[in-house]
Parts: sequence; structure tokens; C-alpha cells
Amino acid sequence: MAELDDRTVKNVENVEKQQAAARDATHWAKAVSRLRVSEVPEGAINLNVTGKRLAGPVQGFGKMWQKTYQARLPRATMSAVDLVATWKQRFPDFWPEGNNFYGPLTGIAPGEVALLNMTLPGRMKLSTGVMVLYADEESFTLMTPQGHMFAGWITFSATEVEDETVAQAQVLMRASDPIFEMGLMLGGHKQEDQFWVQTLRNLAGQIEPAREVDVDVQVVCVDKRRQWSRWTNVWHSSAIRSAVYMLGAPVRGRRG
Amino acid sequence: MTTSELPIVVRRRDNVAVIDVVGAVDARAEHSLEAAWAEATRERPDAVVLNFEGAGFINSTGIALIVGLLAAGRARSIPIRAYGLTPHYREIFEITRLADFLAINPDEDSAVLGVERSSA
Repeated sequence: MAELDDRTVKNVENVEKQQAAARDATHWAKAVSRLRVSEVPEGAINLNVTGKRLAGPVQGFGKMWQKTYQARLPRATMSAVDLVATWKQRFPDFWPEGNNFYGPLTGIAPGEVALLNMTLPGRMKLSTGVMVLYADEESFTLMTPQGHMFAGWITFSATEVEDETVAQAQVLMRASDPIFEMGLMLGGHKQEDQFWVQTLRNLAGQIEPAREVDVDVQVVCVDKRRQWSRWTNVWHSSAIRSAVYMLGAPVRGRRG
Repeated sequence: MTTSELPIVVRRRDNVAVIDVVGAVDARAEHSLEAAWAEATRERPDAVVLNFEGAGFINSTGIALIVGLLAAGRARSIPIRAYGLTPHYREIFEITRLADFLAINPDEDSAVLGVERSSA
């Protein structure tokens, strides 16, 4: 009898696991060997994305960092689920000026690829992209391709803590290659912090325009060691390839 | 030993620590996983094996927690292996490219022995 009960419990557990997996499968992107951009929005530069593989924090070169940015809003103004829905729907609107996120018309959904055209210090333009790795009602995650400034993912989420709704952006990353690692050390980290702080301020400003919301920043070095064997990632560097592309612009213009 | 919050159990087989991951692996599992890792590595093991047979839902925050364990293992030169992943999560490990750094074994014996690199 006890054996039968054990088997029943096991069967119920298996069914629950299968149901959880089926529900969960809709939230994750399907496996892709190389990225493909289905549609290039007007004004966007499609460079350094098509044909690239995804690169997570374990594929990068530099030290591994976990950076968490949080903005606290009164729960009465917006629930966590509504906040994430707003964030997904209007994601590009909250980016700091000078940086463009060209998402698919269908919005943030698992497997979708977005193009990024960004401005780096020295007014340098950089073209890259991201893939939506995961999205549900409470969070969504973007993952970077080879050649991006960093190899990793960024998770945007919201939680309700007592009478507050906490909006959070969390970056788990390594610089992709030695040049980006040097860039991060020479002010890149600060610039990245400012970027996400401003993004959260812009988001919070939409929800509660009456006051400027403080953004908490927490930075943890998850792995101090650099992965020297990954120095060859520099071959895919979006910075170098974007610079070459920009230098070639006058020639392309003449050939027109 | 059972850790707090999620019932994550840490066992020893020879000099390999096996962490039985049970339930959802998401933000709420952070403290349990950290405690399990601390317990598993209190006496330096030859390797740490993550048993996902009892794991339920894993979201992207959960994957980030596993990356954190990989980094902690790397910092102390402790290899980490896994088994018990459903085909769906095996695919997720491929998409996120965790599989590049984490040996996924078909069962506990091969994970403990570290004899098989690829999944069944």
C-alpha cells in the first residue's frame, strides 16, 4: 500500500513538472544557433547582429559583475505586473537620450531580436543588438550577442514589497574582450551605471511624474578573474566593426 | 543537511557534494542556494553536483543564480556538474550557453564520477 502511495505521489509530481515545463516553455526563447533580424526599422543600423551567436556571462573576457539598480514606487500607483507590462510595451521610451533601442513591432517577446544604436564617449556610434531570452508577467531578460560591449544578460523585473513596488534592472556581465574591459575600467562602469539609473528614473517619471525617484545601485564582483583564453572575442568587437563601418560611410555615400 | 526556505538538501558521495535542488529556481531560491553552496564547500569537495531531478520551474533569475555558482566554483577551482535536467531545461542551458561550462550528465553516478561530458 505504501509502495502504491509512493508511486501515486511520484506520478503527481511528474505531471506537475510536465505542466510547469509546458507553461514555462512559452516564456523562454527557442534555441537559435545564429541571430537573425527579421525586420530592420527605419533609421536603424543593422550591424554586428545577424549571424552572431549569443554570448552569456560565461563566454566573456573580463571580471564578472552583478549590478542591481532599484527604484521604489508607492504600490498604490502601480502593481508589479502592470509596471512590467508598461516597461515591456514602452521599453525604448525609457532609454537615455542618444541611445536607440529598435525593438520588433510585436514588442518584447521571447526570441525577438532588437537592434541597438548607441552613443559612446567621444560621440562614437556603436551598433549592436540583443535577444529577448525570457519574458513573463513579472520579468523579462535580454541576452547579448558576440561582439557586444559585454557578454551577459539584463533582467528587468518588479516586485511588491509591503507598500512599495520595486522596479529593478539587474545586469550579469563580463566585458566581452580586452578592449571593452579596459573601457569599463576607464569610466565605462560609471557610464553604464548612469545609463541604467537614468532608465529607471525615466520609467519612474512616467509612473510618478511629481517627484524624482532615487535609484539604489548595488555592484558585486562575482568573479575577479579574467578569462584570458577569451581575448580572441575582440575579433567580433562591435566597437571596432562600427568604427570601420562609420569610416566607410563617405565611400558608400559616393557610390550611393 | 536541509537548508532554509526551499528544501535544498546537500549530500556527500565519496568526496563529491551533491546538492538536491527542489522546487522553483527563481529569485526566492537565492538564499537557499547560497546556503547549500556554503554547506557543500565547507569541506572542500572534489566536485559539486547539482541534482535537478526535483527542480520545478527555472526562470532567468534562477539561471543567473546558477551562473553565480559556476563563478564561485571557478574561483575555488571546484568543478560543477549537473544531472536530472528535463529536455526543456537542457535546451535552456544550451540557449544560455551554460552547457559550454557545465558538464550535464545523464544520471547521478556519471555526474559524481565525472565520466561523461555530454548529456544523454
